[in-house]
Amino acid sequence: MEGSLTPKRLEGSGRWLIKIIAGLFIVVFLGIHFVVNHLVAPGGLLTYADVVAYYQNPVIVVMEVAFLVVVITHAFLGVRSILLDLNPTAWVLRAANVLLVIVGAAAVIYGAWLALTIANVKI
Amino acid sequence: MPNQPEAKNWPRWFDPRSRSLGTFGFILNRITALALTLYLILHLIALGQLAQGPAAYDGFIALVKNPLFKLGELLVIAAGVIHGLNGIRIALNSFGIGVRRQRSMFVILMALAVLCIAFFGWKMFMEG
Repeated sequence: MEGSLTPKRLEGSGRWLIKIIAGLFIVVFLGIHFVVNHLVAPGGLLTYADVVAYYQNPVIVVMEVAFLVVVITHAFLGVRSILLDLNPTAWVLRAANVLLVIVGAAAVIYGAWLALTIANVKI
Repeated sequence: MPNQPEAKNWPRWFDPRSRSLGTFGFILNRITALALTLYLILHLIALGQLAQGPAAYDGFIALVKNPLFKLGELLVIAAGVIHGLNGIRIALNSFGIGVRRQRSMFVILMALAVLCIAFFGWKMFMEG
């Protein structure tokens, strides 16, 4: 079976290893996320009050922000891998690198701000 | 159309003819990855409702309890389960584990994915 089993030349073994390890962390975090949000919550979705109560535990805030960092890292390295499948020119790859770093950093900052905002709501 | 990694040949990705099981695994990994990345961005934007208070967020939650949104959510769960289980196979194989049995691993993990998707579908539509 062929597939993405080995790092591509332009992907680099470091980025490839980060993607694989981040993916394994996501399996664990996402398992918890699915159980809390879709199995335990009545009707499969948390209300505003449920979300605020859930985020009162600082461990949850740290876990969710860590989850976001890992997910964004895995997703954006993955998008870059797919782009490499298309044999981009050096200019396109450089532009994509810059764009992915900027959008990824913005997503992490926004998500962390949102998590802290919810954690600071008084119940 | 030759199967070369050229941007102009992207329609070939969606042509199922003359494909090996491994190629289907690879294509599934890529398609679910793109779908999940798009969902991730939309999910983050939608969760912005939390910062606007209970009325905005609970109103949004009431909207997504619509069966059409639930179906979309089930598709996201399906993509996540397929990508995750297929990804476990890729990670194990990458470290030299189960390389000779990767075809049977793929079939078993995808059968497990179908069971997981059916379970979540049942929970969402029959109980939720």
